[in-house]
Amino acid sequence: MKRRKRQRDTSGESGELNMTAMIDVVFQLLIFFLVTQKPIDTMANLDVSRPSPESRQEQMQTPPKMIRIQIFPDGFTINDRPVGLSEMEGLLVRLAGIDRNQTIMIMCAAMSRHEDLVRVLDLCAKTGLVNLSVISTN
Amino acid sequence: MTPMIDVVFQLIIFFVVTADMQQKAIDESIKLAMAPHAKPVEVRDPREVVIEVDNQGRISIARTYMTADFLYTVMRKTVADHGQSVPVVIRADGGTRHEAVRQVMDACTRAGLWKVKFSAVKEKAG
Repeated sequence: MKRRKRQRDTSGESGELNMTAMIDVVFQLLIFFLVTQKPIDTMANLDVSRPSPESRQEQMQTPPKMIRIQIFPDGFTINDRPVGLSEMEGLLVRLAGIDRNQTIMIMCAAMSRHEDLVRVLDLCAKTGLVNLSVISTN
Repeated sequence: MTPMIDVVFQLIIFFVVTADMQQKAIDESIKLAMAPHAKPVEVRDPREVVIEVDNQGRISIARTYMTADFLYTVMRKTVADHGQSVPVVIRADGGTRHEAVRQVMDACTRAGLWKVKFSAVKEKAG
């Protein structure tokens, strides 16, 4: 009995572990994971603050020194002046040169797309402005 | 040798499958907007609450859809449990209208969370 077993073992590949089956399985696993795996995007977070409901009424009277960016479904304005994205970037760079901690008020219209808000926030992040306040308008 | 390889494979498969499960909680159909200049996410706070808004404007946490009022209840409970320093991350689809995002932000503000983060893609993989 014992001798027969040893004979069967040694009949394969001179007493060593038979790798062929294992390699088959490993390749199957490798291919399975390569196919099912989805590459993970690098994520980023954009911090904003939101005025509390009580201070919202006060801020509606708009302190003169604040920068107001408005986002509409069809464009952007800075202090009521319509601007394109590249023009806004230029302005923000200049503003950031003066003071990085000044509050930027971003007023977002209800029907505008979230993408546009993220675009503006990204520009602010690029220029280094950190005090961002998002206000929703109708 | 053979039993050891068997066990090691079992372990590898176990960890790969369970690591996958942790990602199931997020909605893959949400297409985040791009923000190439924002600061990348390095460490995640374990208390972090991720609120998702899909392109239909529906609000969900961990694939559970809810109304804005219910979200307020959830956020109030979160604040009661962990304080006002809980990080809130809003994962909103790029095509969502702002009003849906506003509802989420209003619910957070009412619950006492003034700081929120928007999730965006810094760099697309592949």
